[in-house]
Amino acid sequence: MRKIDKKTADAYFRTRTTLIIIYLAIGFSVSYGVVFFAEPLSSITFLNMPLHYYMGAQGAVLTFIFLLFANAIISDIVDKKFGLLDFDHKGNEDETGHQS
Amino acid sequence: MDTQFLVSLALIVATFALYIGIAIFNTAKQTSDFYVADRGVPPVFNGMAIGADWMSAASFIGMAGTVMLLGYDGLAYIMGWTGGYLLLTFLLAPQLRKYGRYTVPEFIGDRYKSDLARLIAAAATIIISFTYSVGQLSGSGVVIGRLLEVNTAVGTLIGVVLIAFYSALGGMKGITWTQVAQYVVLITAYVIPVVFMAMQMTSSPLPWISYGEVVSEFSALDQELGISEYLVPFTEGSKWQFLALMFTLMAGTAACLT
Repeated sequence: MRKIDKKTADAYFRTRTTLIIIYLAIGFSVSYGVVFFAEPLSSITFLNMPLHYYMGAQGAVLTFIFLLFANAIISDIVDKKFGLLDFDHKGNEDETGHQS
Repeated sequence: MDTQFLVSLALIVATFALYIGIAIFNTAKQTSDFYVADRGVPPVFNGMAIGADWMSAASFIGMAGTVMLLGYDGLAYIMGWTGGYLLLTFLLAPQLRKYGRYTVPEFIGDRYKSDLARLIAAAATIIISFTYSVGQLSGSGVVIGRLLEVNTAVGTLIGVVLIAFYSALGGMKGITWTQVAQYVVLITAYVIPVVFMAMQMTSSPLPWISYGEVVSEFSALDQELGISEYLVPFTEGSKWQFLALMFTLMAGTAACLT
């Protein structure tokens, strides 16, 4: 593994952290946020369902999937920008190890 | 023995034969260099394997009934389990991967330079996985027990033996490919009946878009009969219980999958 300049490493860490905070904020607002405001949202109808129900059944999950894809694409761009592409391809282990 | 029994038996035997076949095929090829060979799993197939984790026994057998019984309150499970993948992706996986370790206990042990910390983390991981496996295996026991008309306990034992057989044979790579097969089997088993039901009830082959009207009808019928209020939130517990359940499901899923 080659050495990375401290300043670059810090900038990289900051970018990553900011992005993660944004993703989690969106993810939490469509799940916890919608649950918290479920009663006022139930008067809005979407696809023949009250909005709070739709978000629980499909909306939140679709947003999660969107965020995961967005993260994969944006992470690659960020890694490339900081010249960390090789570093990222080091371990490609799958994370499913404990389940079957 | 009626036809229905024979068809379901044939399907289950074929499914397990497929999983075991994959496991055998994958061991024969890679007795050495286990981990390096494992990196040859392309991302799409890895994604399918992780997808098969979501569609586990609990989701497959229990989810529809849970949402049916609890109404809106059952959706905490949907959001919680799926949200777990979000926490895993953003908070655990990239950090572990960049660090070059594969498990949380390894990482914690190195981070705090303490074998005790590693031991505690390992014990916590085992407790979480064990609790999870109990649910999954008793699920397989119910299915096998029903089919073979044996006790659920005997069904569970049959399931354990089969699963242990193909996971021990195949190792990490075998498990991943088995799960890819599992993903295809489960997706097919989910989608076919749902599409046919949608075509009958809403004359649209896309239930994901058209099922809203069924939900509304169902909710109206529910209120009329006074069973439960299907769409009304927090009938089973308070809002805070819902939020807490969702949080534990998210954190638990994230911990379980690492």
